Amino acid sequence: MITQSANLLRTAAKFDRPLLLTPAQDWSGWLLGKTGRALLMIITGTSVLAVLLIFVFIVREAWPFVQAHGLGEALSSTSWYPTRDPAQFGMLALVFGSVQVTFGALLLAVPAGILIAAVLSDIVPFRVRQAVKPIIEVLAAIPSVAYGFFAVAVLAPLMQEHLHLSTGTNALNSAAILAIMAVPTIVSVAEDSLSAVGRELREASYACGATRAETLLKVVIPAAHNGIIAAIVLGTMRAIGETMAVWMASGNAAQIPSPWWDLTQSVRTMTATIAGELGETPVGSMHRHSLFAVGLILLVVSLAMNLFTEYLLHRAKRTSGVHA
Amino acid sequence: MNIPLRQWLDRLFTSLAMLSVLLIVAAMIGILLPMVWRGGSAVVFRGTVEFRRMQLEQFNRGDSAAVRAEAEDAARIRQHAYEILDRFAAGLDTSELETKVKQLHREFGVQLANREIPQKQLSELRSVSKELRDELLKAFEAEDKTQVLEHLDAVMSHSGDERLKGTVAAEFFDLARQYRDTVANVDLRRRSEYADSLKQVKDAMRSLFGPRPGERLPALPIEQYGSTRWDQAKQNLDKLLWAESWTGSGEGQTLTKSRIPREEQFAGTALAGLFPYVRDNIQGMLRPKWTFYWQYFTDDSMSGHYFGGVGPEILGTLLITMFAIAFSLPVGVVTAAYLVECAGDGWLTRILRMCVNTLAGVPSIVFGLFGLAFFVIYLQPKLGLPGSSSIIAGSLTLGLLVLPVIIRASEEAIRTVPQAYKEASLALGASRFRCFMSVTLPVATPGILTGLILSMSRAAGETAPILFTAAVAMGPIPTSLSQPTRTLSYSSYDMAVGDKMAMLAPHNQFGMVMTLVAIVLLLNIAAIVVRGRMSKKLRGQ
Amino acid sequence: MAKDGSQGMSALLEPIALANRSTITLAEDIRADNETLSPVRHNDVMPAIIRAEKFCLYYGVKAGVKDINMDIFPQSVTAIIGPSGCGKSTFLRSINRMNDLIPNVRSEGTLYVNGVNVYDGRINLVNLRQQVGMVFQKPNPFPKSIYDNVAYGPRLQGIRGGRLDDMVETCLKDAAIWEEVKDLLGKSALALSGGQQQRLCIARALATRPKVLLMDEPCSALDPIATSKIEELIVGLKNAYTIVIVTHNMQQAARISDCTAFFCMGELIEYDATNIIFTKPSRKQTEDYVTGRFS
Repeated sequence: MITQSANLLRTAAKFDRPLLLTPAQDWSGWLLGKTGRALLMIITGTSVLAVLLIFVFIVREAWPFVQAHGLGEALSSTSWYPTRDPAQFGMLALVFGSVQVTFGALLLAVPAGILIAAVLSDIVPFRVRQAVKPIIEVLAAIPSVAYGFFAVAVLAPLMQEHLHLSTGTNALNSAAILAIMAVPTIVSVAEDSLSAVGRELREASYACGATRAETLLKVVIPAAHNGIIAAIVLGTMRAIGETMAVWMASGNAAQIPSPWWDLTQSVRTMTATIAGELGETPVGSMHRHSLFAVGLILLVVSLAMNLFTEYLLHRAKRTSGVHA
Repeated sequence: MNIPLRQWLDRLFTSLAMLSVLLIVAAMIGILLPMVWRGGSAVVFRGTVEFRRMQLEQFNRGDSAAVRAEAEDAARIRQHAYEILDRFAAGLDTSELETKVKQLHREFGVQLANREIPQKQLSELRSVSKELRDELLKAFEAEDKTQVLEHLDAVMSHSGDERLKGTVAAEFFDLARQYRDTVANVDLRRRSEYADSLKQVKDAMRSLFGPRPGERLPALPIEQYGSTRWDQAKQNLDKLLWAESWTGSGEGQTLTKSRIPREEQFAGTALAGLFPYVRDNIQGMLRPKWTFYWQYFTDDSMSGHYFGGVGPEILGTLLITMFAIAFSLPVGVVTAAYLVECAGDGWLTRILRMCVNTLAGVPSIVFGLFGLAFFVIYLQPKLGLPGSSSIIAGSLTLGLLVLPVIIRASEEAIRTVPQAYKEASLALGASRFRCFMSVTLPVATPGILTGLILSMSRAAGETAPILFTAAVAMGPIPTSLSQPTRTLSYSSYDMAVGDKMAMLAPHNQFGMVMTLVAIVLLLNIAAIVVRGRMSKKLRGQ
Repeated sequence: MAKDGSQGMSALLEPIALANRSTITLAEDIRADNETLSPVRHNDVMPAIIRAEKFCLYYGVKAGVKDINMDIFPQSVTAIIGPSGCGKSTFLRSINRMNDLIPNVRSEGTLYVNGVNVYDGRINLVNLRQQVGMVFQKPNPFPKSIYDNVAYGPRLQGIRGGRLDDMVETCLKDAAIWEEVKDLLGKSALALSGGQQQRLCIARALATRPKVLLMDEPCSALDPIATSKIEELIVGLKNAYTIVIVTHNMQQAARISDCTAFFCMGELIEYDATNIIFTKPSRKQTEDYVTGRFS
């Protein structure tokens, strides 16, 4: 009886599909895999290609200017008169405008951003946090041209009237707008890094009798410093690369204000110069090449900042990994 | 430090932090509220009969008979105001009278030349006519009432002249009589002042009610209609009822604004009655009605965004966004799939990641420069297209801009698909490709969709990359992808800064921005909803 | 009831278990003196459907399992027991090559399934995995409908339409879950309870018509009632499938398996008929483990 059942069972489990590939299957599978991979590589290469092309074409268009005038020379003069005869391409005022506006924005946005990140990560309960985060997201989503519109149509008249300024579109206005635009970037990166600092550190600090402010300022923020610096750099990138809002809000005067720290005068940034003048330059003119050179400066600056943040965030990840 | 001080500092820190949150919330409200409020008034407002007439005539919309009847009703009420104006203007606006007198003199001359009369009589009559003309002109010019009357009397002394009976010259006497009536209750010394003021009144009337009935229709639509909106009408009414002047105080350093009611200004003249009449009957003259002008989102604009809507701009924005996404979605998802599923941790992956991050960090204006240099000037001529901005160039530029967004979102979405699903699929005998297509991709879809929607919102809102590659402020609706287009983002800029006509219609300025912000925010809300759904679905609800 | 079952089974299986022992001995004898082993060793009583010979699997430099020699026989339940991290799951996943998903995996030796070395470069992974099904530790239904979950495998094989409906029904019935879900076929599988999800996963595995069913601690995430249902199911399935089950639960191994293998530190310590392993194991380590003295 036992043998019988064993025989019965033996017939039941027959492998009916071949476990080995036929040579044809093997070969076509190999080919398919290779072509598929190659196809994937080509499509994936688009981003690499894009970065290369951006560099190649910006440099190519900026090169005649760099050759003729040299970036060092351009960056040491403040007279930006590209349409005069002879044309003058001093970019210092433009660089100064960008730096002034960005710096002004950071002055407002960094403390606010870090404080908000601290509120979200440590102070308010989960539900409030869930309510505040969409607001930050909305601020990040509003198009820059809408910010610029707000600056021109709402903020500028208010400033002119209440601060008794000669013009409402000035460095202060752009800095304020840029600050609002940079805050969401700073908050989201800073909050991530504050949350990544584990509970243990906080509890250790509280256990020593520290207040919440002391815990945050002396323990948590120092521990998260890499992420917070990255947040600031990313915020700076956002501010320095911003075009529409500053173009509309800054007043577009290519000058270094006197005194130089006066935020209530009109300035002009690098981005606004490109946006404002490129449309009127003929193809191949030195003026156009000079604007591409300004773009090249922007590109190099943003690339450097990008590498710096990546380095910082990489380090932040490593250190927080050690804590965890 | 002692304990109370430390606690006080702690509280200070907490309140500062909360204050910054409040500030940012206030900033959001402060930015969005005026846009929504004033932009909303481009769509929902009290439209006047002028608005309905404009809609009927320019857009062929509305019940023709009803609008005409309404317009006639309004015109009947307006008629009285015009009569008052005319009565007063006749005496005051002497330039009109002067030309009339000069014309009469000329006509009389022609009439005489046609009649066969002796030469002597002819020259006599000519000199009479000339005298009449000069006296009248002097009367019109004089500012002293007695002088005026003297001149008029001199004219009237000829009224008995039989030779002039039945000729054009008889009208000189009518004019003189009329003018005597007008002058009777006018302070002639203030005439120049009146003349300026009267011009303002006339302008205000025109901006309220449009050209006068019977007048030749101006060519521009913007001049063919009065106040189409009640808020506009109220402003114009204010201009009609109040005289504004800027007077320098002291050294003329600061100018102060003073407002005098025109009723007072014109007190004692025939015109004084106009102001209460218009003020009391303005409702009847314009018939404001709450209007929901939903066609704002589909109409083309007229007279440089003064009338009409944002239809072409929405269309352009959608077109550019769609084509940008059509390019970057497949590339982005494939790249993300490659990064997660195929690539290990080799140098190739590292380079790829670095490029994606670099791409994400390139300022948007540099994308614009690149798009111009590469797509517009380099690539398009090679493909036989004109080397000028076009939808396709703008879309590709924006596509590159949002590529990192899509790659990052998709990578995140694909990476978070539980390994268990992939294992289950592979254990059931799916090939890696089938496994990805049938399990990983569907599970990752909501995440990818979220990224997709967010990048759409980004693409729709970006302006700098399309400044030189795709956008124009004015132009026809594109018929092919090699033409430039209007977009919401660029037109928002142009209307705020560049377009003078748009300054006259702030509601349309705000309406444009509101439409843009609304589209972007709706997309963001959609992304949040999809994200919520996704987590719900993964929990099995 | 389970006790009765296991008693009855062990009585039935005695001859087979003996045969197993002889096979193992035979294999060891041959291995000692030659290398020209034929891929499948036909035994007079019963051929092994899965055979490992000197099989090792490394994660990088760390060995997951090493030097495994083991025959698994058709239409039986083979349990693999052992302490955590002993390599029992690794071995199980080696059989249908699920370890391929882990980077830096390397194997040595041979592992035959139905006479074919699955680590052969020419192996048809799709056919292998279709015929060697797998049920995982945690129930892992796809976030699709119940129907789509079961139909997933057949669809890969190009089965559509009415035949698919029939197969889904049969498999759900075989997995003893049909009665519970027959009105919910369109509902999401994630809405089911844990035990139901696991039976659904079994039904899904059955739908590819496998010959061998690998189960990786299928009850570890389930409550006792769901566990007993799955156990019943496994016993019922034994007649048509070869089942290899990894389990932490020694009672479970004793209740449902015919043969039991004891793994420790990546090595196969002892392999024998279940009643022998649990009553008179020949190795001290095994005895310590099954009596709970293992530390």
